[in-house]
Amino acid sequence: MSAIVWLHGDSLSPNDPALLANPEAPAIFVFDEPFLAAAQLSFKRLFFLYECALEAIAGRAGSIRRGVVVDEVRAFAAEHRALTAHVTASVAPRFQRYVTGLRAAGLQVVIHEPQPFVSWRGEPPRRFSAFWRRVAAEALRPTGPGPALPSEQEVES
Amino acid sequence: MQLRTDLTNRAEQAAYLAEALAGLYSGPPTPSPIRGGRRAALRRLRAFDARNYARARNDVAPRRNVSALSPYIRHGVLTLAEVRDSIISRFGLTPDTEKFVNELAWRAFWQLVYAHLGDQIYQDIEPAKRRARAPRRSLPPEVVSAQTGLVCIDESLQELYTTGYMHNHARMWVAAYAQHWLGVDWREGAELFYRHLLDGDPASNSLSWQWVGSTFSHKPYIFNRQNVERFSGDAFCSRCALASGGCPFDDSYENLAWRLFGVSLAELEGR
Repeated sequence: MSAIVWLHGDSLSPNDPALLANPEAPAIFVFDEPFLAAAQLSFKRLFFLYECALEAIAGRAGSIRRGVVVDEVRAFAAEHRALTAHVTASVAPRFQRYVTGLRAAGLQVVIHEPQPFVSWRGEPPRRFSAFWRRVAAEALRPTGPGPALPSEQEVES
Repeated sequence: MQLRTDLTNRAEQAAYLAEALAGLYSGPPTPSPIRGGRRAALRRLRAFDARNYARARNDVAPRRNVSALSPYIRHGVLTLAEVRDSIISRFGLTPDTEKFVNELAWRAFWQLVYAHLGDQIYQDIEPAKRRARAPRRSLPPEVVSAQTGLVCIDESLQELYTTGYMHNHARMWVAAYAQHWLGVDWREGAELFYRHLLDGDPASNSLSWQWVGSTFSHKPYIFNRQNVERFSGDAFCSRCALASGGCPFDDSYENLAWRLFGVSLAELEGR
């Protein structure tokens, strides 16, 4: 069964977990027309998203669209005869509504978890200082060397 | 509507996107000098030197020692864990990298609050501990147009409008000025920031404004001219027409507490 990947603004990277789990799958990013028409963000923000999306979909059957997110993702899935959409989780309520909408439209939605920073789950304390006291040891413990970085020459160029 | 993905020249991409997304943005169709994408994010990460971060992170000008990674972190282009791992592996666990990771943790904290409260983050989370005496008003046009006459405020806003970025310390100055000196509801200021910040995130942005305002903290955040001068060198005050008289920030914290809130500094700070 073929599947697609739905990318959104909270995980717009070629290293997005849903993308990495589906290396051959077509991927879509949608500029959310009703939301953006109301929010009227600066063009700089939209162009930044566009540059991120272009890199994220590079090398696969990718699509960047303007429209209603649920409708565009459904249409994209239908074009690729996919019944499943993979996506990386976001805490935004709007994301939850779109997942509900896609499922109501008959798509199976598989949600991937982003790489955790600390393992905290559930309600946080009211103040950052209390949060930090409880997570500092874990937060300061690296899990690896981090991503491969470009050379100094590339940074300067 | 399908958008083109075949253009490779940045100017052509911008011209195309300006047309394709017409009606969905406000202001001039000019890209930020800050590039999007993972390659740009990794270059920025590579360029950041975390040594001296703890001491210099609050310097707004003339030189800065901040990572400027927030636009990439906000959009998941880099994860907090990747940044933490890279910084500690390259610079070791030092007071500087510990402070940097502590700042990364603020982002994790805001996200957890957002996961818990959802759209309630757009309301006062707690009652304000102190309300400014300034009469309630909308965001004044001189703030929106960055023409308050206060160089520290105007140049911070200009940077936001032209690049989509503002130093965190400058964000605190502008947020405090808008709320405590001008009496603006935090939501109006937060909305302005959100429209422009490349790292604009509902949680980080709204909750930081509430932190400054004291609806999500123990006390209102205030600053004074001495603070601006300490963290900007000669960059702002030496060019400000109000520096020789009329600067609203030119006072002691004790006097500002009385002027802005009608209480002593000790009362303002809950001591």
